[in-house]
Amino acid sequence: MRRAGVFVLLGTLAHGSLAASKSLPRGVGPEFSAFYESKATFKCIGNPSIALKSSQINDNSCDCPDGSDEPGTAACAHLDPLSPEQPLLGSPTGTTNTTRALPGFWCANDGHIGSYIPFMYVDDGVCDYELCCDGSDESAHAGGVVCENRCGSIGKEWRRLEEERRQSVERSVKRRQTLVKEARELRRKVEVKITSLKGELESLEAKKEELEKKFEEVQRSERGKVVKGEGRGGKLGVLAGLAKTRVSELRDTLDKVLDQRDDLQDRVEQLEGILTKFREDYNPNFNDEGVKAAVKSWEDYAASATGDKKSELADADIMEVLKEDGESSGINWAEFEEEGASDAAVVYHLEAYLPGFVRDYIHTKINVLRVWLIENGVLADNPDSDGESRLVIAAREALETAKNDISSKTTALEEQKGDLQKDYGPDDIFRAFKGKCVSTDVGEYEYELCWVDKTTQKSKKGHGNTNMGNFVRIDRELADEEERADGKGLGKGQRIVLRYDNGQGCWNGPSRRTHVWLACAETDEVWRVSESEKCVYKMEVGTPAACEAVQEPGVRAKDEL
Amino acid sequence: MLVSSPLSGKWTASLCLLSTLCTLWTPAVSVKEHDFKKCDQSGFCKRNRVFADNAGASSSWESPYNILPESRSFKDGQFQAIVLKTINAKGDTVRLPLTVSFLESGTARVTVDEEKRQNKEIELRYDSKVRKERYNEAEEWVVVGGLGLDKEATVGFEDKSQTTVKYGPSSAFEAVIKLSPFTIDFKRDGESQIKFNDRGLLNVEHWRPKIEQPETEKKEGEGDGGEKKEETTLENKEGSSSSGEDESTWWDESFGGNTDTKPRGPESIALDISFSGFDHVYGIPSHAGPLSLRETRGGEGKYSEPYRLYNADVFEYILDSPMTLYGAIPFMQAHRKGSSVGVFWLNAAETWIDIIKAKDWRNPLSLGGSSKTSTHTHWFSESGLLDVFVFLGPTPQDLTKKYGELTGYTAMPQEFALGYHQCRWNYVSDEDVRDVDRKMDKSNLPYDVIWLDIEYTDEKKYFTWDKHTFPDPIGMGKQLDNHGRKLVTIIDPHIKNAEGYQVVTELKSKEHAVKNKEGSIFEGWCWPGSSHWIDAFSPAAREWWATLFKYDSFKGTMKNTWIWNDMNEPSVFNGPETTMPKDNIHYGGWEHRDVHNLNGMTFHNATHHAVKSREPGELQRPFVLTRSFFSGSQRVGAMWTGDNQAAWDHLHASFPMILSQGISGFPFSGADVGGFFGNPEKDLQTRWYQAGAFYPFFRGHAHIDSRRREPYLAGEPYTSIIAAALRLRYSLLPSWYTAFHQAYVDGTPIIKPMFYTHPGEEAGYDIDDQFFVGNTGLLAKPVTEQDKVTAEIWIPDNEVYYDYFTYKTIPTSKGKRAAIDAPLQKIPLLMQGGHIFARRDRPRRSSSLMKWDDYTLVVTIGRDGGKSAEGDLYVDDGESYDFEKGQYIHRKFVLNGEATTISSTDAESRDPSSVKEGDWMKKMHDVKVDRIVIVGAPASWAKKQATVESEGKSWPASLDYSAAAHGRASFATVKKVGARIGADWKVVVS
Repeated sequence: MRRAGVFVLLGTLAHGSLAASKSLPRGVGPEFSAFYESKATFKCIGNPSIALKSSQINDNSCDCPDGSDEPGTAACAHLDPLSPEQPLLGSPTGTTNTTRALPGFWCANDGHIGSYIPFMYVDDGVCDYELCCDGSDESAHAGGVVCENRCGSIGKEWRRLEEERRQSVERSVKRRQTLVKEARELRRKVEVKITSLKGELESLEAKKEELEKKFEEVQRSERGKVVKGEGRGGKLGVLAGLAKTRVSELRDTLDKVLDQRDDLQDRVEQLEGILTKFREDYNPNFNDEGVKAAVKSWEDYAASATGDKKSELADADIMEVLKEDGESSGINWAEFEEEGASDAAVVYHLEAYLPGFVRDYIHTKINVLRVWLIENGVLADNPDSDGESRLVIAAREALETAKNDISSKTTALEEQKGDLQKDYGPDDIFRAFKGKCVSTDVGEYEYELCWVDKTTQKSKKGHGNTNMGNFVRIDRELADEEERADGKGLGKGQRIVLRYDNGQGCWNGPSRRTHVWLACAETDEVWRVSESEKCVYKMEVGTPAACEAVQEPGVRAKDEL
Repeated sequence: MLVSSPLSGKWTASLCLLSTLCTLWTPAVSVKEHDFKKCDQSGFCKRNRVFADNAGASSSWESPYNILPESRSFKDGQFQAIVLKTINAKGDTVRLPLTVSFLESGTARVTVDEEKRQNKEIELRYDSKVRKERYNEAEEWVVVGGLGLDKEATVGFEDKSQTTVKYGPSSAFEAVIKLSPFTIDFKRDGESQIKFNDRGLLNVEHWRPKIEQPETEKKEGEGDGGEKKEETTLENKEGSSSSGEDESTWWDESFGGNTDTKPRGPESIALDISFSGFDHVYGIPSHAGPLSLRETRGGEGKYSEPYRLYNADVFEYILDSPMTLYGAIPFMQAHRKGSSVGVFWLNAAETWIDIIKAKDWRNPLSLGGSSKTSTHTHWFSESGLLDVFVFLGPTPQDLTKKYGELTGYTAMPQEFALGYHQCRWNYVSDEDVRDVDRKMDKSNLPYDVIWLDIEYTDEKKYFTWDKHTFPDPIGMGKQLDNHGRKLVTIIDPHIKNAEGYQVVTELKSKEHAVKNKEGSIFEGWCWPGSSHWIDAFSPAAREWWATLFKYDSFKGTMKNTWIWNDMNEPSVFNGPETTMPKDNIHYGGWEHRDVHNLNGMTFHNATHHAVKSREPGELQRPFVLTRSFFSGSQRVGAMWTGDNQAAWDHLHASFPMILSQGISGFPFSGADVGGFFGNPEKDLQTRWYQAGAFYPFFRGHAHIDSRRREPYLAGEPYTSIIAAALRLRYSLLPSWYTAFHQAYVDGTPIIKPMFYTHPGEEAGYDIDDQFFVGNTGLLAKPVTEQDKVTAEIWIPDNEVYYDYFTYKTIPTSKGKRAAIDAPLQKIPLLMQGGHIFARRDRPRRSSSLMKWDDYTLVVTIGRDGGKSAEGDLYVDDGESYDFEKGQYIHRKFVLNGEATTISSTDAESRDPSSVKEGDWMKKMHDVKVDRIVIVGAPASWAKKQATVESEGKSWPASLDYSAAAHGRASFATVKKVGARIGADWKVVVS
């Protein structure tokens, strides 16, 4: 009960017992006692010029324009901006649309917490025990309803629950501290990673510069040396070379297109699956034009589909085309190129017989050796190259490798930096939840919350999963809900709300969204999932992560009782 | 049903299944206008319109209906005769027994039957087992009284050509029955008011055998059989019938893939009814159009279709249309200065009404060629008796009273039913309901009832709860009861055809379901998918239905659970026009065609009786809302105008519809506040609440696809403005309840259109967006247009009018419009001088928590300067039937300005000692008159003190007087009057 509702009650609490002893008119709160002490006359609090007989106090008829003559009845309850306006002389506005002098009807609630309740709850025949445990809100007027004083039991139960909650909160706070530590550790790891990446990047940059220089040097020195061979095969050879490049480019592109197509086909299949399920499951009776039109179109579409044998056949053709050129398939470029063996070629080709890791190692070593040999005139530069010497190529390759390295490391660094920037909530707490999920069963569905990732509805009847939204941000919102005996509720006050947007789209509607409301609990648990309007879900989730701000005033106040 | 892979071999099979299903769905696939028949798609409508056209086109047209002179008799207020219909050139005739009954109330009733069918001397096609008679039981469902014959009625004149009967109060009414052709002219004080068959459009389609096509011919012409067939039929017919009628819809007709087999052949009845000298007619709800009915034969600002009455589930209905809606009241009234008359067409089959208005040149010799407009109506029903009641007024009040005498008055509702109802399709769980309940309180929004639409059930099986979402309905019900609130759950007439569902098992085994034309249980589709329909025409079915509502049967319901009957037109998703096939068979062997428009009422009625007493000894006034209705439904509950839309024009259309309900005997009506389909903008929603505060039935509702819109979600300033509108409604509940009591007593509408309150003011005849509330003199014109910040209220008289909220005297003149400021937070609401009405000003959370609050009386000083003002207040316990045993308070308040007193006396001059006070009346001893506000109080009220006299004592009460200032009228307030509301008292200023 350390929630907003109680805060109001507490401000005046300390004075409650002081005033209680004097016989004040019904419903007068302690801080207003002074106005009601005179036995002879009563002056309206906001309009002291209006003097009333003391018998007019609480006579169930409203006399003061600020309602102060009726602290213990509902007779002036209509003096507020929500009631239909009527002229009222003497009120600041000249109408009943005014402010009352008193905050409400005072329930002393001895043995529990005193509180003001709205005047409109007074003498309405309802014992509002949640607010007025002493039952003083009913004076046997309304149809003879009398309310017994239940502050003894209510107060006791409240204190018991309060103690339980306090302990639970203590434990939860401890857990939270552990989580904060975890999060801190995870953060530290990210920071370490960033530092190391930065270091690596620095050295890579240096290396890159070095390689650039080297590349330029090599280029310069080679420019003189290179003998520009005519290439083999004359013009036809050149053409073949060009064609080969072109073909492999086209093949690459085709390959990509094919991948893309497969992707799309997958999606179409998924969509068809969804539509088929929709067609089976939708309620034809909702008289929804949109849905019905959609179903009809789908049926037409489905009816017109002739199956995709054709594309399978086409696939075979494409696969044929995609096969690497060689002696058995496609174009045998070799026929056009006429392999001419050279000393160097032998060295180059040697690699091909080695296992991958060895090859990489050997390749580097050989390259270095080769370059050294060439530079020292031991080995002639590769006369087979297409106008560029092996040395230049090697230098370029080295440079490009370095560049690629830099770019991938930079990306990694940005990722880590971004992650560091990302809002993981207070104390970075949700960092500790990355990759974790909790779920609960509701009826025929299981609902899953993956913390900073997404929310999912999983059908137990095998209708597949539905994405209910992807995590976007952390908000705060005011919760205003009834306390639950088991403590598994949002209660009242500021709560963390995780927003998940852009889930699977709804028919005729927007994408699914989930608002995940968090409240303090010892363990992570999805308490409730509701869809109060179509495709907008609310998850109420207990987690130690939400156990911040322990020093809520309620706890302290209780001790004063 | 569909397989996921299109390559699958099941594909073809699935397609077949699919196409079958598609056929099933066709009627529901595209709704709106084209899903419902136009006149020329409804055989008998087309035939009768053609009949009228032919009659109109020929100058020599003569109605073939004549009374057999020697068959006439008159006895005990009843005229009987045989009308002969000449059916061919040979002069063959058909005998149609005619009865004209003159009732004690001054109402006349004309009934025409058909002898052959009456005597069952006809043959049905297809070996059909349905009844051979014309449907003659509508009266049993509809008429509850007022059938006593007027023994004073006398034949005033009789000769070979006519019989004249004098009847009614002081024999001022007269029915001139002409023999050849048969016509009746109803006169009042010698002046013609209503004429039957004046245009010769009477048409009783007599029974005839179908002359079947010779088989051989059919075979010959197989290739172009269709054409051949028609030709042959034509020939055949010409052999047997004299006129060149279109037979194509005599024996069967199809619409939207459904074929109606008509075992009895053509059997429609039609009659033209002319209102002499009347150019305004009203009534025949429910239609979404203006209160004053439009002409229907085409032309600028006129409809080209007749008004239709064929209860149907019309999805997203269109406005300003004669198209049929969910309910039917075939009661039409005509008004002109000095006269109000009406007819009630008692027929439950599909009915259409054509209306035309024409100038009369009755006296061509009169100078200046002065002419009056008369309204000519033409009624046709598909089957049943021709049975018409004629009311000769002369006031609008006479009409509502006499109509109610026959069909019953509005049931006295529970008081909570007049509070605000919070509804949505759907509150998704018991938690959700509890949450809304709390939040309404939190935001100071009073309400009385929260509603559950179909989703609370376990897969649309009524009388069950979804155990996942509503695990604890009793806990939910108890929370509501804490603040005196109620729960309404929906129960529809379609019963899910599901294995192991007890209700459907019993429905089938006990044969309580509607049957199809073959006589087996009818199966159709509705919310639950395959369903059967309870046949509430059957007494045994109704008895069984009642058992389902017992607390130990419908578990989870409590004393504060009430019921909502929807889809009772009935709505059948795969049926023709979204309803049942007309050749379905009901209890008693009647075809659905005969009873269609009654269907909703019988179901509503069954539910009403079921919840009246759910455990031994209990007797509560039921609350059951219905969507479909007929004449008489007012006796068992409330209605709403169906599935409207969140749009300004729908808000605007709600008042004509509700006013029309009011004058047609079923005033407990409302439209969905906020609009059912769609999402209202906040200003629309706010204005709608302000309007809804003046609906007799005040419920916010929303479609499942719409966003949540409980008023606390609107945010400021909207939520507060809505709260103020709700509080206005609640503070005026005593006056609303008094108005309902008036409706219960004599059928007076709850909100009254201008023609009703000021029948002499012709300029008010087509005003249908402002109204008076009960007898309070409150004149309201809620804003129904976007961005509108003024209201131009038409002022019907020379009375004084005050602004309700500021007491400003509005500068008015009779017949002119007065402009009232109406920013969003304000409802244009005036107080007419000369009234006294009661309020309860203390805001509470629900109406039942106001039960013991003191009253405020408001006196509005009229143009006589305060010489007189009057008003009344009716109070009872608001829930039981004890009021029938005198357990109520009914006060009459009178201001006597000469002596400057306000007094309260028993409105019915009862002797107080004649009633033994029960518990409620005893408790009411504590309930007092708190204040009296006298708006426009003359200077004689400028005193400090008044004296209250009551129950042999007298005491002073303080009196505040505020002189007029800044346009505000003067007003006086008597404080703490302190007299018991139930006692005689007098406040004297001297």
